[in-house]
Amino acid sequence: MDAPSDISDPTQWLETPLSLLAPLESALRCQVCKEFFDNPVITSCCHTFCSLCIRRCLSADGKCPACRAQDQELKLRRNWAVQELVDAFQTARPRVLEFSMETARQAQAENREEPVHKKRKVAPAEEHIQVPEPSSEGRRTRSQRHHPQPEEHPAIENPQIIEDSQDEEEYIPEDGLVACPICNRKMKEEAVFSHLNIHQGDESPKKPQSTSSSFGPLRAPQKSLVFSGKPPERIPAINYSILKENALRKKLSDLGIPNWGPKQLLHKRHTEWMNLWNANCDSKIPKSKRELLQELDIWERTQGGLATGPSPFVSSTNVMRKDFDAKEWSSSHDDDFRRLIANARKKVGAKMAPATETAPTPSEPPANGSLVEPNIDADADHVIDLSG
Amino acid sequence: MQDHLPPGIAMVKCENLEEWQMDIKVLDQNPLYQDQTYRLKFTFSNKYPIEPPEVQFIQCAESTGTPRSIPIHPHIYSNGIICLDLLGSSGWSPVQNVESICMSLQSMLTANTRDERPAGDQEFVATNRRRIRDINFVYEDDNV
Repeated sequence: MDAPSDISDPTQWLETPLSLLAPLESALRCQVCKEFFDNPVITSCCHTFCSLCIRRCLSADGKCPACRAQDQELKLRRNWAVQELVDAFQTARPRVLEFSMETARQAQAENREEPVHKKRKVAPAEEHIQVPEPSSEGRRTRSQRHHPQPEEHPAIENPQIIEDSQDEEEYIPEDGLVACPICNRKMKEEAVFSHLNIHQGDESPKKPQSTSSSFGPLRAPQKSLVFSGKPPERIPAINYSILKENALRKKLSDLGIPNWGPKQLLHKRHTEWMNLWNANCDSKIPKSKRELLQELDIWERTQGGLATGPSPFVSSTNVMRKDFDAKEWSSSHDDDFRRLIANARKKVGAKMAPATETAPTPSEPPANGSLVEPNIDADADHVIDLSG
Repeated sequence: MQDHLPPGIAMVKCENLEEWQMDIKVLDQNPLYQDQTYRLKFTFSNKYPIEPPEVQFIQCAESTGTPRSIPIHPHIYSNGIICLDLLGSSGWSPVQNVESICMSLQSMLTANTRDERPAGDQEFVATNRRRIRDINFVYEDDNV
């Protein structure tokens, strides 16, 4: 979940000869956040999500989003194979995409200006890639894969494709052998898994992480997936209903997170912190507590006590969804709704008056500011829509 | 994304992350919806996708150039509010998305043969002041 500096999307493949990579890329993305898996974990029902995504889902309704089976965060297990897939794919992605788009552009250009003989060299490789794999054939054998290589190779080395040598590895033709991710010994692909058993029980990699760049280019994204040092301790879930407000407030300050606001908010903040923290425990490169506190601060401003969302009041996440009695809630708050609607209408009429009272935020943080207005507008529009 | 939507689904408005509008069409020959296009409004809270978006059909006047009406359906109120478990807290799952919702609604329309509004439509439309997600629908009918 990095900053969206470059937004990538599986549909980018569809315009290229490698359109079959679109479903592959979709499979490497979390179904909840639609990003590439970030610290993937697997549920008891064998579905994989980002650690943070599934933790948030489970704290909201205790069910797997994919199949709705009950599950608990304690049962989540890291899925490092998927992490490796994602890392490798993400490393390869920019160049493969660029290569594929370039090929598409060349094909287009050729179509326009008819016979261009110079480009002939590229064509075989391109055709080779274009051929969709009939699923019945299954995996290609190694011997098949090796044949086109003499032609493929120059195409890949084509200077147009290599963009400002962001990663310094060069293409090395496959020798059919792969390196063990732990000891780097070369062996046949199918031997790796049984070989890995030898390393089981090894607490740390034999080589320090910095040497990982000496792995072949095809192993490039390999960082040590083996735990280094002791894992940070996880925060246990607590039963909020048996905890008095002051005890909960103390727990929050013991954890080093803000402890202002009513109990409901303390509860939500604790849950979010627990999710952020425990998801971070699943990371192979854990963030510092400071970074996590910044993330909690973002949460505070978007969904917590400083949030001014369209419906902070009636949001069902005030209560765990599984315990939420919607009928009771809506009948007991009917007056509130009417009052809010009336307020909102007034506000729209009066234009632009900051409307902090509408947000049922705790009285303590006075920093609500001007973020409020657009939401109120939206709210009022919405209400008018419904009644009209 | 626009270019890769399933047939009968088109993006109309998606400038921000709070509200999107989509057009959907029913693709088969169901006479109730033939040759019609319907406009959907999605409103996302900042808890999406943990929480469902609010989804309703909206009307567009003739003068907009794209006249849109509210489809007739026993689970769609005449103000555009849709009674579909998928869109309520209990039926929602965070793996759903705009595209999957549109497809569910397409199939909900396709499968319908009844040319009617929900029971109590007039009263509901006249008195409902609740936001969509707070309406406590009873999903009694699985046939439609």
